[in-house]
Amino acid sequence: MGRLKTGLIAFVVIEALYALGLYLSGGMFLEYLPPEMRGPYAGLLTPEVGNLGALLVQMSQFGYGVGHPRPYPALMDLGTTLTAASGLLNMIVLSSAHLGARRSQPCLGPGPSPSVAAGASLILPGLGQFLQGRRGRGILIALLLVSLFAVGCILGDGANLDRERHFYYWAGQFMLGLPAFVTEFSFGHPRLSLEIPYADGGVVLGCVAGMLNVLVMLDAFHYAEHGPEAGPDPSAAGSEVNERGGGQAA
Amino acid sequence: MRDLGVHALLFFFAGSVIVIIGTLFSETDDARAKAILPRRLLRFFLGSLLVLGVMLICEHTLASVR
Repeated sequence: MGRLKTGLIAFVVIEALYALGLYLSGGMFLEYLPPEMRGPYAGLLTPEVGNLGALLVQMSQFGYGVGHPRPYPALMDLGTTLTAASGLLNMIVLSSAHLGARRSQPCLGPGPSPSVAAGASLILPGLGQFLQGRRGRGILIALLLVSLFAVGCILGDGANLDRERHFYYWAGQFMLGLPAFVTEFSFGHPRLSLEIPYADGGVVLGCVAGMLNVLVMLDAFHYAEHGPEAGPDPSAAGSEVNERGGGQAA
Repeated sequence: MRDLGVHALLFFFAGSVIVIIGTLFSETDDARAKAILPRRLLRFFLGSLLVLGVMLICEHTLASVR
């Protein structure tokens, strides 16, 4: 697509993130899974799948470990966060490449490009909408999702943020971006001595908040590509969008 | 019946967030989203209350251990 420099920079940054994460975690993040959940496709529901090549290399080199439990490295949590971030970042780059391949006309929305807007909402829920000038929408989204996530963390007493305890739910929560990241490294690895009454509710609410942020990212992407919709008449909206360059109606 | 209020409150809170984000996702125009949101929330609350009532009746008549 003629963007060699951008591609090279993206490749180096994304693979360096994964390599650093792999180094810090000792390639052990799949050992979080209990034996009954291990299999050839267990990695497909992790954020790392966004960087599929690196994940496959890791699975072939490290797999599920040596067959018996062993201590995790000191920076295991940071390492697995970096590998997950590498996968998500690559998904943003993928979406940018896909957009560039299918769209010849410039995007119609205000603010940053679709991929940057979606990436901004991944970093902080609603940030993409805020940068597009839809400030009320962005603030409302941030308040709703962060409060839902906060309620989940309170119910789960912070234990919902631990990838070792909740391997797949953690992947959902990770989609909330910076709030999940900061909260995890502040309160996310408590030592538990008592049963947490609403632990399940905490895990579910935190994960729902993260998954709803995927919708928010898609909203930011769509608005950046197509811009504000035309009038309330769908046929009029479609004709106007087509007149402006062949984009599809929402 | 234990913690029914807490469970219902959490459900309504999480459900309301889902309805609002879903509405914002389906309507890129803020004014239109604001216009249809009350009706969607009302429908969600009424539907949820109906399901809650049916479940309580079922629990009381079919699954009560007291």
